[in-house]
Amino acid sequence: MKILTPTFLFILILCAASAFDTNMKEIKFVIPDGWPKPVYKFSKNKLTDEGFKLGRKLFYDPLLSRDGSISCANCHTQWSGFTHVDHGLSHGINGMKGKRNSLTIFNLAWNKSFMWDGGINNLEVQPLGPITNPVEMSTTLADIIKKLDTAKGYRARFYLAFGDSTITGQRVLKAMAQFLAMLESFNSKYDKYVRHEPGGEMTAQELNGLKLFRENCGNCHSEPLFTNYSFQNIGLAPDTGLKDYGRMAITHDPPDSLRFKVPSLRNVAMSYPYMHDGRFNTLMQVMDHYTDGIIDGPTRSKELDKPIILTPEDKKDIIAFLQTLTDKDFLFDMRYRDWRD
Amino acid sequence: MAKQVTYLLLLPIFMLAPAFCCAQPGMNKASFTDTNKVRIVIRPIYNGKILKTGNQYYVNALGDTFYIDVFRFYISNMSFTDGTNNLLSNSHLFDVDDTGTYSYTVSVPAGIYSSMQFIVGVDSIANTSGANEGDLDPMKGMYWAWNSGYIMAKLEGHSKSCHTLHNAFEFHIGGYMAPYNAARSIALTLPQQAIATRYSIPTIILKTDLAILLNNADLSKTNSVLIPGKDAMAIADLYAKMFSVGRVISMVPFER
Repeated sequence: MKILTPTFLFILILCAASAFDTNMKEIKFVIPDGWPKPVYKFSKNKLTDEGFKLGRKLFYDPLLSRDGSISCANCHTQWSGFTHVDHGLSHGINGMKGKRNSLTIFNLAWNKSFMWDGGINNLEVQPLGPITNPVEMSTTLADIIKKLDTAKGYRARFYLAFGDSTITGQRVLKAMAQFLAMLESFNSKYDKYVRHEPGGEMTAQELNGLKLFRENCGNCHSEPLFTNYSFQNIGLAPDTGLKDYGRMAITHDPPDSLRFKVPSLRNVAMSYPYMHDGRFNTLMQVMDHYTDGIIDGPTRSKELDKPIILTPEDKKDIIAFLQTLTDKDFLFDMRYRDWRD
Repeated sequence: MAKQVTYLLLLPIFMLAPAFCCAQPGMNKASFTDTNKVRIVIRPIYNGKILKTGNQYYVNALGDTFYIDVFRFYISNMSFTDGTNNLLSNSHLFDVDDTGTYSYTVSVPAGIYSSMQFIVGVDSIANTSGANEGDLDPMKGMYWAWNSGYIMAKLEGHSKSCHTLHNAFEFHIGGYMAPYNAARSIALTLPQQAIATRYSIPTIILKTDLAILLNNADLSKTNSVLIPGKDAMAIADLYAKMFSVGRVISMVPFER
C-alpha cells in the first residue's frame, strides 16, 4: 500500500482532471435559434479541439507582444466580456496609451467588420491590429513566428492542430480565429426569457425597461445581437486631444466623420467604461447623454433626429433591463479561461 | 552489343519526335492532362540595366537623385489563355533583395501561347478572405493591419529631393475597394511563342523597368503614399506600365 501511494495519488489526480474535463462543454460552435447566419464560416478553418486550444494559448501568451509583457488578455479579460474594465483607454507595452476603449469580444462570428472604425475586414486578420499597433503589442507576425519556433511546446501544438509542426502566420491566425469565434454569449437572463426557459423570469421593471429599450434604442442595438453593425455618430463631443474621427480614417469619406461602430450591448453591465473613448463610467451617464447630451452636427445619426425623452424612472428601468444581458455562463465559461496548458 | 540495343530502344522515340515539334497553335486545349508549367523569370531593371538596391544611385528624368532600399510587388492570377480557362496562378511576391523570388513556375494547360495576362497586386477575393497562405501570408509584411488589405507593391528609398525625415520616400500601394482598387491588369504579347508540354517548360523573361515609374514620379512633391486613395491610384497606373516581356525560351525536345 505504501509503495502504491504516489502512483495512486497520481492516478487519482488524472481521474479528477479528466472528470473535470468532461464537465466542460465541448468545443462546438452554436448558432442559437432565431439568430441570423454567421458571417464567419469554419469551412476553410475546421474547428477542432486542438486548434481552439492553440488559439486560446496564443490569446493568453505575452509572447505576442514585442517585449513579452502583455497578452491579448491584458486588455480583454473574460469576466468583463473580454474587455478592459475600468480603463477608458487601454494601455499597451511600456504603459503606452491607445486612443480607444478596448471592445468586448464575443459573438464575433456575426461581425461584418472589426474595430471601432470597421477597418478590419475578416475575423482571421483581426489580431494583426493589436499585434502591430505601436502602442499595443508593437511587434510583427514574422517576429512572433520566430519566437514561437523556439518557444517550448508550440511546435507540438501546431502539429496537433494542423497535422505538421510548421508554424506559419496563416496558422497562428487561423488558430486564434477558432478561439475567438468560439467566444459565444447567448445564455443571459434575457435569452432565457426569450426562449421561455427557467431562469428567464423578468421583473416588471425589467420588462418595462425592455419595452423602452426596443422603442428608443432597438433600431441600432437590434436584437438578438444588440447591434446592427452599422457606424453612427451619436452626438458625442469630439475629444480635442484624441482627434479621433472614427470611420472616416478608413473610408476618407466626410459623411463618415465621427462615426463609430455600434457595439453589442450584451454583458454591458460588466464592461464599463463606455463609448469609443471610455468617457462614461456608468450606464446612467450613458442614459443622460442620450436624453440631454447629444451634440448636433452634419454627420449626427438620423436615428437620433427625434429626441429621446425618458424620465429618471424610465432610465432606471432600461438599466435594469440591460443588466439582464449579463451572461454568467459566458463570463465564467471554463473553456475560455487561461489554462496555461 | 549493349549499345546497339539502347539505340534500338531509342528509335521509336525519334520517330515520335515530329509529333511534338509540329504542335500547332490551335492545340490550346489540354492535350496532355498532366500539369504543364511555364517558368517566369522576373528581371528588375532601371533604364535597361539590372536594378541594384542600396548604394547604387540613379537619376530620374526630373533630375531627382535617389537610391532604392525596398522594391517588392505581387503578381497574381497569371494565365496564358485568352480568358477561356480559369486556371489562374497563385499570388507570387517578388522581392528585389531575395533572388529566390526572381523565378517561379505557374501551372498551365498544355499549349502554345502567344500572350499572357496577369495582375500586378492581389485580387479583391484574397483581400477579404482572411488569413491566406504562402506568399500571401500576412507574416510577409505586405499586409495592412489597421485597414485590412494587401500592400500590392512597395517601393522605398532615399532622395535629396525629399524634404522628409532622412530624405526618405515610401510608396506602399494598395487598396482593393472601388474606386481605389490599386491592382492593375496587364496583358502582354509574347515575342516568341511559349510552348508548354509535358516535355517542355518554357521560360518567359518578364522585365520590370523601375525607371518608367520613377521618371514620372516627382519625388519632391510625392514622396509618401501609405494609404489607399487617389495618390496610390496614380502610382498604380505607373507600375502597370513597367512590365514587358524580354524573350521567351521554349525548349522543344529533339529540335535541331
